[in-house]
Amino acid sequence: MRMRRWMSWISLVVAISFVLAGCGGGSEGASGDGGPVTITLGGAFSSPAEKKIVEKQVAAFEKENPDIKVKLHSITDDYLREMQTLIAAKDEPDVFYLDSMPAPQFMKMGVLEPLDEYIKKNNVDLSAYETSLVEAFQWEGKTYGIPKDYSTLALFYNKKMFEEAGVKPPKTWDELRNVAKKLTKGNQKGLALHASLDRYQPFLVQNGGQVVDKQGNPTLNHPANAEALQFITDLFIKDKVADTPANLGVEWNGDAFAEEKVAMVFEGAWMIPFLKEKAPDLEYGMAELPVKEKKNSNLAFTVAYVMSKNSEHKEEAFKLLQFLTSEKGQQYVVDGGLAMPSLKSMGEKFLDKYPEREAFVKAVEYAEPYQYGEKGNERVDAFNKAAESAILKKKPAKEALDEAQKQLK
Amino acid sequence: MNAQPTTVGTKPAARRRRSGLFSDPLMGYLFTLPVIVSLSVFLIGPIIYAFFLSFQSFTFLDPEGAQFVGLDNYLKLFEDERFHRALFNTSIYSLGVIPVQVSIALVLALIVNSKIKGKTFFRVAYFLPTVTSTVAVSVMFLFLFKKDGLLNHFLGWFGIPARSWFDDVTFALPSIMVMAVWSTVGQFMVIYLAGLQDIPDDLYEAAQIDGANRWQQFWYITLPMLKPTTFFIVVMSIIGTFQVFDQMYVISGGDGGPLDATLTVVLYLYNKAFKDFEMGYASAIAFFLFCVILILTLIQRKFFGEEMRM
Repeated sequence: MRMRRWMSWISLVVAISFVLAGCGGGSEGASGDGGPVTITLGGAFSSPAEKKIVEKQVAAFEKENPDIKVKLHSITDDYLREMQTLIAAKDEPDVFYLDSMPAPQFMKMGVLEPLDEYIKKNNVDLSAYETSLVEAFQWEGKTYGIPKDYSTLALFYNKKMFEEAGVKPPKTWDELRNVAKKLTKGNQKGLALHASLDRYQPFLVQNGGQVVDKQGNPTLNHPANAEALQFITDLFIKDKVADTPANLGVEWNGDAFAEEKVAMVFEGAWMIPFLKEKAPDLEYGMAELPVKEKKNSNLAFTVAYVMSKNSEHKEEAFKLLQFLTSEKGQQYVVDGGLAMPSLKSMGEKFLDKYPEREAFVKAVEYAEPYQYGEKGNERVDAFNKAAESAILKKKPAKEALDEAQKQLK
Repeated sequence: MNAQPTTVGTKPAARRRRSGLFSDPLMGYLFTLPVIVSLSVFLIGPIIYAFFLSFQSFTFLDPEGAQFVGLDNYLKLFEDERFHRALFNTSIYSLGVIPVQVSIALVLALIVNSKIKGKTFFRVAYFLPTVTSTVAVSVMFLFLFKKDGLLNHFLGWFGIPARSWFDDVTFALPSIMVMAVWSTVGQFMVIYLAGLQDIPDDLYEAAQIDGANRWQQFWYITLPMLKPTTFFIVVMSIIGTFQVFDQMYVISGGDGGPLDATLTVVLYLYNKAFKDFEMGYASAIAFFLFCVILILTLIQRKFFGEEMRM
């Protein structure tokens, strides 16, 4: 029976230690004065190649600033979800990635530290960056982030198919339709395109349309939008020269292009490393998107470095942020060759190295950031559904957009 | 097996005297403390908190800025068309999956309970999908059901044109239902199997002596004796189907497409919480769903009779 007593005491101790272990933690990483300061850098490093670029940048930064240590916080899961929980727990990284799309919410909710003061103090010249990118991270006159890199859309075309059909990359909408017709034969389609705003918007804007007006209200059913949507939808339904990746039996446009099911896609620079791996022998070219008349348009998909309002080492955090977006820091972006650097001067260097990617850099001048205000996600959803029902249910574009607009009220 | 109830309830009075510092009940609670604590911290606590959130306009981005909005979030549920669509889809999914799932599980259990050859193999084969993660299953079905996938190839032999099943407004949800039945039926089969083996053989012997055929034995002995098992399975199945999320998330890429055809309540809730930053509204949806499941379970209880206690 003595044994029993001991057992119960032991289990009690175990039980209590469980509880204490749960409640513990917290006060770690409080740096004393004089010692090196640790800054956390959070990001969704979507590929090993991207992570390597950041690691190289960080190593260079630490070399220049021996009193600052940088810890990488890599988020490979759903980035927005994890970031929200970190922010709610006030445990977010000091400096982190922020995509243009959810940026308005973050800026409005006061999660981020306004950078204007630091920008002035450290003589950062915002006009050295591509304007459309910088604008994506400004809210009510304040700047909250400095863009790190971007990609726009370009027309990727299969050189062999174009040669066989005897056509040139289309420069206008009419040419696009004609070329697509010539390229469609048997199982092969002219164009793969998924029904969503992140591919359609340039066409809406070229036609004089807009998704959100100057006051920030959605204008999905703008007559020019309907006209452009009808033009694209006709490529699917009337001319049968375009198809969605799903209908082609692939996951996304990139697969359709790599597997030579289509001759053209509108995609970003992320296609280049993808094609290198999946279809290394495919000969393809990149051109600017076809225009309706004269005015071209494009979308800039960009990510900025932003600073947490709760950071305990804001001066040091800005130093890191400044370095990452400086010419020195962006040299690694150029060398990495994944996305385009956000600094105009580095864009030129990028072109020296990769002249064939000119279409992306040219487009950023007239591109709009991929961003639709605080309710951006809902608006994109509504538009996508309209675009989908125009194709799947053969609904007239105007009717589909009217419905979408009504849903947003 | 249960014919002779043994006496379990006798208390050894001698043991009580020696309990020393702690009385037995206290000791019992101490033993269960780790579970009680972890459950209250990670389950009950968050549930209560979510209940509070459902009355607020809350977002993770600005927890301090939350405002009390009363019943607004709940009232919004009645106007939100996409939510109605999600609830409709979920109900269709549940109504379609449960009867099929339960009947197939019963048939499979009867088969693997009979004296056929290689029944261990079949038991394993039917149970295997259950231990596979739903995400892996979904990805596998994405391949099977895609336009140039195996299913279309097979249907091609009968002259049925190929289609992209998961991207078709009409067929996306039914395709996921088929997948759900396939992947969960094994789990319920095992529960039925346990139920079947609990039925005393003497009942069948007595029935045989009375001249009952196989069908009568099944109808008047097996089915009634399996009633508690069926109740359990149907309840679990309702809960499972109303909370369906992973399959839709993977197959539609998170947006419930095409055209909201695969939008379910939990998927909608997730998107509201983490993409539209409306955690308060998402919590209200969660509690609405909780009430729906609770009510359905209570109705079940009535339907299966009061004597059925879980």
